Amino acid sequence: MAGGERVLVAMSGGVDSSVAAALLVEQGFDVVGATMKLFCHDGDLPDRPCCSLDSVNDARRVCQTLGVPHYVLNLESAFGRDVVDDFVREYAEGRTPIPCVRCNTFTKFRDLVAKADTIDARWIATGHYARVENGVLHRGLDHTKDQSYFLWGIDRGVLQRMILPVGSQTKAQTRAVAHRLGLEVVAEKRESQDICFVPDGDHTKVIRQRLGADAPSLAAGPFLLSDGTIVGTHDGHARFTIGQRRGVPGGFREPMFVIDIRPADRAVVIGPRAELLGRGLTARHINWLVDAPSVGATLAVQVRHRAPTVPATIVRLDADEIEIALDEAVAAITPGQSLVLYDGDRVLGGGVIENGKRQLPVRAA
Amino acid sequence: MMPEPIYLDHAATTPVREEVLEAMAPFYGPRFGNPSSTHRWGRDARTALDEARERVAHCLGARPDEICFTSGGTEADNIAILGAWRALSGTGRRAVATTPVEHKAVLGAVHQAAKEGAEERFTAMRENGVVEMSSFQEIVRDDTAIASVMWVNNEIGTIQPIDELARHAKSVGALFHTDAVQAFGNVAIDASAAPFDVLTISGHKIGAPKGVGAVFIRRGLVIEPLFHGGTQDRGRRPGTENVAAVIGLARAAELAVAEREAHWRQLSALRDRLEAGIVARVPDAVVHGRGGPRAPHIVNISVPGTDSESMLMALDLRGVGCSAGSACQSGSVSPSHVLHAMGVSNELASAAIRMSVGVLTTEAAVDRVVELYPALIAKVRGASAAAAAD
Repeated sequence: MAGGERVLVAMSGGVDSSVAAALLVEQGFDVVGATMKLFCHDGDLPDRPCCSLDSVNDARRVCQTLGVPHYVLNLESAFGRDVVDDFVREYAEGRTPIPCVRCNTFTKFRDLVAKADTIDARWIATGHYARVENGVLHRGLDHTKDQSYFLWGIDRGVLQRMILPVGSQTKAQTRAVAHRLGLEVVAEKRESQDICFVPDGDHTKVIRQRLGADAPSLAAGPFLLSDGTIVGTHDGHARFTIGQRRGVPGGFREPMFVIDIRPADRAVVIGPRAELLGRGLTARHINWLVDAPSVGATLAVQVRHRAPTVPATIVRLDADEIEIALDEAVAAITPGQSLVLYDGDRVLGGGVIENGKRQLPVRAA
Repeated sequence: MMPEPIYLDHAATTPVREEVLEAMAPFYGPRFGNPSSTHRWGRDARTALDEARERVAHCLGARPDEICFTSGGTEADNIAILGAWRALSGTGRRAVATTPVEHKAVLGAVHQAAKEGAEERFTAMRENGVVEMSSFQEIVRDDTAIASVMWVNNEIGTIQPIDELARHAKSVGALFHTDAVQAFGNVAIDASAAPFDVLTISGHKIGAPKGVGAVFIRRGLVIEPLFHGGTQDRGRRPGTENVAAVIGLARAAELAVAEREAHWRQLSALRDRLEAGIVARVPDAVVHGRGGPRAPHIVNISVPGTDSESMLMALDLRGVGCSAGSACQSGSVSPSHVLHAMGVSNELASAAIRMSVGVLTTEAAVDRVVELYPALIAKVRGASAAAAAD
């Protein structure tokens, strides 16, 4: 279709974004590759699957192979402000944030789009496994790789200029394309699992770096049962998330899980599986990628990456808050994670989970 | 189709000159010998090397034994500063003095000396990019081992008063080094008349290959070698000499000296045309170091409301190659330490674009860049304003 039109491709140096760029070159786009530098490589961090110096070099080599220009864009300060600061603040408030959501919302699909404007790039592309069809975001065709859960926060207008070339294929197909096009540098690269700016998968290091070793969220506090009984001491509530079993005191009749985190008294509340189940939730920072549905609308919701969707009903909808009734009980609804609303494969919108509710919420009269 | 690309980054590197390639070729072929060998092949290479040393010395007004060949400017700066510091560190002269606008090769070497016990001192800078003389006199005293000031700044082109600075250093018994990597070929250098003690040049800025440079070390000075090994270059720089590249350096140096005045006239005319053209079309453009003496090949411009990164990208996509402050390892752009030291605001420093004219630059190319500039500025400004409004 848009032969010759310029597209800025966000390239992490991984196989997905490399193949995205390659496919766009094949389709005749005027491709410009860009790798975002999001945090500092100084110091002795071991190599990370993305954002590392080697990854920048890989992206550059892929672009050279494809015969397209490549740039490194320093978005460190904006990323620090919009993503890392928020990440630390959320943990301090007893929540479990998803920095990838904010990176997509603010860094990739806002700040990078601004860079695209400076070079007259009509289009912006990434290696996400999701699809845009007629201006509507859809799940990736390969549901096992689907990343639409992380994309609910982007500006709806950006969908008009967004291309996700690998979203219509499986990971195996992506790797096959990489081989076919001679992108051996990245073809068999392992997938990044961790959060790019978190060293060794230990997020408490980032909290310590930013807030100091005496941060309250990393200080000792009580393990409580839901009736208030103290059953032990933990070494910082930021080490816990709802539904977690690791590090929770034993010796109970049933396996115990984290069911609540209360930063005000540094408490981590634990309980049996039954207490982990919720029938409703509220979420904030709502963003719609389609015209907002009305109260009473039934749709499917997903409250965690890779969790199955559950049928649900909107029982309340304000400018910035939504309340959802779940048709069936869902385990471990976690403040800070995303609520994403779907209609089949269509992504309607989402928000940041504020609270899970044990009781089924009822629509206000 | 995109028109012919325009290279405006001669301060970063230059193509190897035809004459230089030609001079080097035999040393990659039949004259391949190792200068340390005693046989005919060795003798031949040794003779060529000695002649190259004489020729480079001649270009600098030096004697052949005062020329030490290196792998380039960075090694030469390190030999000068660390070599002198290490040789003098037992004598009670414990300070190493420099400016905050030096190339990273000097700043890094000074920093290393500090790790080894030196006290590092930095001069104040004037707004026009010239060293504040009173500040230099204050920090270069009888406790100073070596002072290092670059002759021509690589980012803004400012020419420092090297004779005056070197004379002061001499008067307090301190050694004086100057990084003349950007100066050589632009300003007249005569070691027989000037009071500096150590001086650095680099090949690839003047049409010789990358990976070769030289350091002038005034006769009688003791410099601790950085490398240990054989006795090449009087033990100052062990390791088999890069004969072909050294021959190339000698040829390029001779051409640079012979053409210096014409080169200055041509490049300053091109630079002025570029600078005046942009300033005329973008009236709020700020030319850094404009108030001071400048080498002919560099212009460094900031336009408020833009950023270097976007400008470099937009220029490159239109076929124009320039640079910003100093690129980091990943290739991302960070604001210039040079502009910061001159008191330029962060906003302007992060918008700086360095353009450097040279052998590949034509008037027509300059005119095309001048034509192009306002539209790119408008585009980058528009996008930045939109992002700020979010």
